[in-house]
Amino acid sequence: MPYQARIIALLFILAAGALALFVAGGRSASAAYNIPKALPPDEYGNIIIDRLSTKNGEKPVSFSHWIHRRKHTCRVCHTELEFNMKTNTTEITEAANRQGKFCGACHNGKEHDGIQMFGHTDKTQCIKCHNGNRGAGRERYSKDMSGLPKNKYGNGVDWSRAIEQGLIKPQHRHTDKPLEADFEKTLKLEAEWFNIPPAVFPHKSHIAWLDCSNCHPDIFNIKKRTTKHFVMSRLLAGEFCGVCHLTVAFPMDDCKRCHPPKESK
Amino acid sequence: MKKYVFLTACISLAVLVSIGAFAQSGIKKKRPLPQDYGKVVLNTYSEKAGLAGVVFNHWLHRSKFTCRVCHVDIGFGMKAGSTGIRAADIMKGYYCGACHKAGGKAKFEACAKVTNNDFPKRCDRCHSLGKVVAFENDFATYTAKFPKERYGSGIDWEKAEVEGYIKLTDFVEGVSMKKPLLTQNKELELLPKVEGMPDIIFSHKKHTVWNGCAVCHPDIFVGVKKGATKYSMVEIFEGKYCGACHGNVAFPLLDCQRCHTKPVS
Repeated sequence: MPYQARIIALLFILAAGALALFVAGGRSASAAYNIPKALPPDEYGNIIIDRLSTKNGEKPVSFSHWIHRRKHTCRVCHTELEFNMKTNTTEITEAANRQGKFCGACHNGKEHDGIQMFGHTDKTQCIKCHNGNRGAGRERYSKDMSGLPKNKYGNGVDWSRAIEQGLIKPQHRHTDKPLEADFEKTLKLEAEWFNIPPAVFPHKSHIAWLDCSNCHPDIFNIKKRTTKHFVMSRLLAGEFCGVCHLTVAFPMDDCKRCHPPKESK
Repeated sequence: MKKYVFLTACISLAVLVSIGAFAQSGIKKKRPLPQDYGKVVLNTYSEKAGLAGVVFNHWLHRSKFTCRVCHVDIGFGMKAGSTGIRAADIMKGYYCGACHKAGGKAKFEACAKVTNNDFPKRCDRCHSLGKVVAFENDFATYTAKFPKERYGSGIDWEKAEVEGYIKLTDFVEGVSMKKPLLTQNKELELLPKVEGMPDIIFSHKKHTVWNGCAVCHPDIFVGVKKGATKYSMVEIFEGKYCGACHGNVAFPLLDCQRCHTKPVS
C-alpha cells in the first residue's frame, strides 16, 4: 500500500472512531442503557407486584427472590408454577392463588416442608405480602444469609457456590420431575473488545437452577453462529444474560465472574 | 447531492434489514393466556369483503373432533391463512361448511346465502376479530373439570380423551370415508443430537388417536422409515416437524421433559 493511501486509511479509521465515540458519549451510560439502580444486598432481586392490588384497594405485593431462592430453584416457580420473567406480566389473581396456582401452590395455609405456610386463608397475614414495601424481609437478611459464601455484588451472596458446596439445598421440583439432562458444556465466548478475556458460560451451574426452556429458545435461540449478538450493549439493555443478570442473578458489575482474567486459568 | 442521500438511505436500509433478519430477540416472549392458546386468525378475504377477520379457537373444536377430521378429511391447511377459505366455498359445503351448513351437525350455519334478521349477530360468531363477543362457551367453565397440565391451554388433552372427559368425532358424513382402522402403536426412541440430553420417546399410539397417519405423513415427516427425516431442535423451534403442532396448538415446546423423557444412562 502506498504511504499516502495508508495515511488516508488511518485518518479514515480515526475519524470513524471519533464519530463512534461522539455518538456514544452524547448519551450518558444510564440514559443509553436502562440499567436498574444499584440496590442494597437485602433489596436486590426484590420486586413490587402491582397488576391488580392497588386497583382493588390493596397494597401492592412485595416479593423477595433471595428469601425464596434459598429453598427453591428458579425452575420451580418459573417453569412449574408458570411465573413469567417480567414483573406484572403473569396473570396472578387472588382466585388463582386460592385454587392453588402461582403463590397459592405453596402459600395455601397448609404445612409445606414442615413449615406452616400463610396464604389467602388468614386475614392477619395479608400484610406479609401486601405491604408495598420493597425492603420487606430486611430484618431476616443477616440471619438467613449467615454462613453463605460472600459475593461483592447483588445479594452479597455467591448463590452458585452455596449450592455447589451444599450450604443450601433448594428444592428443584414442586410436583413435577425436572428434566434429567446431564448437560455440562461450558461455552467460551470471545469478547468484542481487544484485551478483554473471553466470557465463560457454564451450563452446569445454570441447570442447577433452571430448565432448558427458561432460556431456550426465547432468550437464546440455540442457532449456530448467533452468539455474536450477545454484545454488552444488548446485555445491559436487558436482553440475553441481562434478563436475569441485572435484576436477580449476580449483576454485571461483577465483570470477572464471566470474564475471568487470563492468569486465573 | 440528492443522489448520494438516496444511495446512503438505500444502503442503511439494506444494512438494517440484514441486521433485522439475523437478529434474535434476547428476551422472553409473551406467552398467550390459556384461553388464547391455539387461537388463529383467518383473514385472507374477510377484511377485504368488509367483514372482521375470523377468530378460530382450537380448544372448543378439539374437545369434540380429532385433528384429522378437519386437517385431512375437510382439508384445512396447517397454517392460518394457507387455506384461502372463501364464503362461497363454505356455502357449497366445503371447509367450515362441511358441518356448519343448513341441516348440518353444527349448531349454526356459517356464511349462509340467505341472511335473516339475525345479521350481523350470526356473522360475529366467527368474524369476531377486534370485537367483544360473548360466546356460548366460556373457556374456564367449559374446561373446568378437564385434567390439567401446565403451559399451552393448561389442559392435558391426551388424558382428557383417555379418561373420557371428551369424546372425539373422527367421521363427518359426506366428507370422511369409511376405512379400516390403521393401527400403529410403535413407540420410537429418538436420539438427540446434543450430548447429555435425555432421549426422546415418541408415541405413535398417542398421536394416531388425533391424527391418523395423514396429518404427519408424508408432508411433515416424509418417511415411514425411521431416520428418513432429519431435523433439529432449531427447526422444530421454527415451526417445522414437531413444531408444526407443538408450540401452536399441541402442548408447547417449553415442556422439554414431556418428550425428552428417557434419562441418560
